[in-house]
Amino acid sequence: MSATTESQPAPSGLRTILNPDRRKIIYGFVAAIGLFIIGEIVKPGFASASGIQQILEISSFVGIVAAGQTFVILVGGIDLSVPWVLNAAAIVLISQSAGSNGKLAIGIVLALVLGLACGIVNGLGIVLLGIPAVVMTLGMNGIVEGLSLGVTHGLSCGGCLKPAPTALVNAMTGKTLGIDTSLLIWIGIIIVVSFVLSFTTFGRRIYAVGNSERVSFLAGVNVKLVTVTLYALSGLFAAAAGIALAGFGGSATLGMGDPYLFQSIAAVVIGGTYILGGRGHYLGTVAGAIVLTTLISVLLAKSAPDYARDIVYGVVILAILLLYGRQRSEA
Amino acid sequence: MLERAEPLRGLGRSAGWVAARRQQIAAQNAPLVVAGALLVAMLVIYIVLYSVSLGSFPGAFEAASITNHAMPLCLAALGQTLVILTRGIDLSIGGMMDVSNSLAALKLHGGFGVEALWTVLILLIGAGGGLLNGVLVAFGRLQPILVTLGTFSIFQGVALWILPSPGGHVAGGYTNFFLDPKAPSALVWVVILGLAWAVLRRSRLGVNIYAIGNDENAARANSVPVLRTKVLAYALAGLLAAGAGIALATTTTGGDATAGDVFTLSSIAAVVVGGVSLFGGRGSGVGALCGAFVLTLLVDVLFFANIDPLFQPFYQGLFLVVAVGASTLLGRHLVRRR
Repeated sequence: MSATTESQPAPSGLRTILNPDRRKIIYGFVAAIGLFIIGEIVKPGFASASGIQQILEISSFVGIVAAGQTFVILVGGIDLSVPWVLNAAAIVLISQSAGSNGKLAIGIVLALVLGLACGIVNGLGIVLLGIPAVVMTLGMNGIVEGLSLGVTHGLSCGGCLKPAPTALVNAMTGKTLGIDTSLLIWIGIIIVVSFVLSFTTFGRRIYAVGNSERVSFLAGVNVKLVTVTLYALSGLFAAAAGIALAGFGGSATLGMGDPYLFQSIAAVVIGGTYILGGRGHYLGTVAGAIVLTTLISVLLAKSAPDYARDIVYGVVILAILLLYGRQRSEA
Repeated sequence: MLERAEPLRGLGRSAGWVAARRQQIAAQNAPLVVAGALLVAMLVIYIVLYSVSLGSFPGAFEAASITNHAMPLCLAALGQTLVILTRGIDLSIGGMMDVSNSLAALKLHGGFGVEALWTVLILLIGAGGGLLNGVLVAFGRLQPILVTLGTFSIFQGVALWILPSPGGHVAGGYTNFFLDPKAPSALVWVVILGLAWAVLRRSRLGVNIYAIGNDENAARANSVPVLRTKVLAYALAGLLAAGAGIALATTTTGGDATAGDVFTLSSIAAVVVGGVSLFGGRGSGVGALCGAFVLTLLVDVLFFANIDPLFQPFYQGLFLVVAVGASTLLGRHLVRRR
């Protein structure tokens, strides 16, 4: 991609600002707006202020998981352990807080620590043992799944079926300053993650490692530390999404994390992040998460059957990839 | 891998060359040996646990049960191997198994002619799905993981459309012929698969697949038809996935449009346990078959070890990480010693 811009003599200002990577992010948001317009045509009221806010709120769960996924994909990795780390965090929160607001803080901290620990183990396995990311995180998903099922006896333990503390439920379903609180939290995460990626040394190191581990290492970047940190962050974000979902739904259920593996990867990809690492931004992922959720909502508004949803999902992903995910010809 | 050493022949076969060649063969096949050893170890553990807990040795019925249960994973893992050897990955295998599983449960009964015709048709549909993957990857120049993620979703949808709720059945005669529940006749299919692999690997297509996985640009420069080879690899993987779906419907004697989903990830696990490198160009389909049997035996071992079935995913995940971690460390050790 960079070769095409470099070969042009003195690119104009606009062209530098709108480089291909940034253009992909804009395409993502344009696609989201387009889907809102289609939704409004299919079902009037779809794109009303409250309708939009509702869809953005649902997008936030995918968006939070996909923040971690963006981090690891930016260094050419992938996190397949997202579903059960999310699920286990929700179970820990519910069982530890036991429905009381007083214990909510402890529950949240323990859930986040769990996510962080899973992510660190993922990172260490990949960095120190040299296990491919696909295998390590796939194994971790099984490990966390088995522990969640086994320790809670299939979610039949005393504390597992308690409702989420009312404070959390109120926070996740309520409004602050006229905007849904869960949406505000996501906006906060978007600002922080984007700032980290664009304006910090750590952010530059992520892109450096994603482009070439070897060159980054020779340039003095602690590649192993960066990688482990990113997997830890992915675990942390998965756990955070688990907490948010437990509050939003009012309880923890088995398999609640399953849809988020496919959706988080799809959101990252639709947002224009290169799957082999080094290029992309969380803002693109945000657009991807909104596109995915709006797409489902449009299909639901058309009361399309489940199988049509799966097919449309796949076709849209392939279409978007064909539009701007193609690699340069090497022949 | 004899083919790859051909150009060296001009240099003459000095003693050093023979030693280097021997070392190369050893290094090439080390993962396969590890996979075989793992299979033997798992078999021994299984037999010991079985005889201790039941007081008798496992017989023909157990052998048939294990082989039949391993069959879908064997076929899926073999397909996955072909794609992974080209440095790709096929996430759509589970979705294709959904499709063929649903079709098999709906169509595979009502006389020999109908059953034979639909078996061929289902396999062709699988090959067609794989062809779609291959064309998008090779000619569309898209990343395999993303293409197959997209087609996985499409195949899942198609399967749900074919069979909205679990049901259907496979004719008893069909089951007895392919996966006889009483005698381990299905071992014949495993041997045939192994032999087919040996033939494929020595064929032009097989050599090209390995070449692409090792270095795509070098392969292209040596006039390997990269695009065509990739398309064929994905199409064959789709065909094998369809076979796996039929085998799944046959062992469970019924259809479920979501039963194949888990095979996407378990086929990758089997391939990796079988010593195939996820970075392409290294490994063997025979290893993947070993990996499929190891993972199938693991379930039985956990059962006879009296492990709470709820903890099963925990031990499976742990086994995967430990097996791959250990063999990676072993591989590093061997390389360092050389």
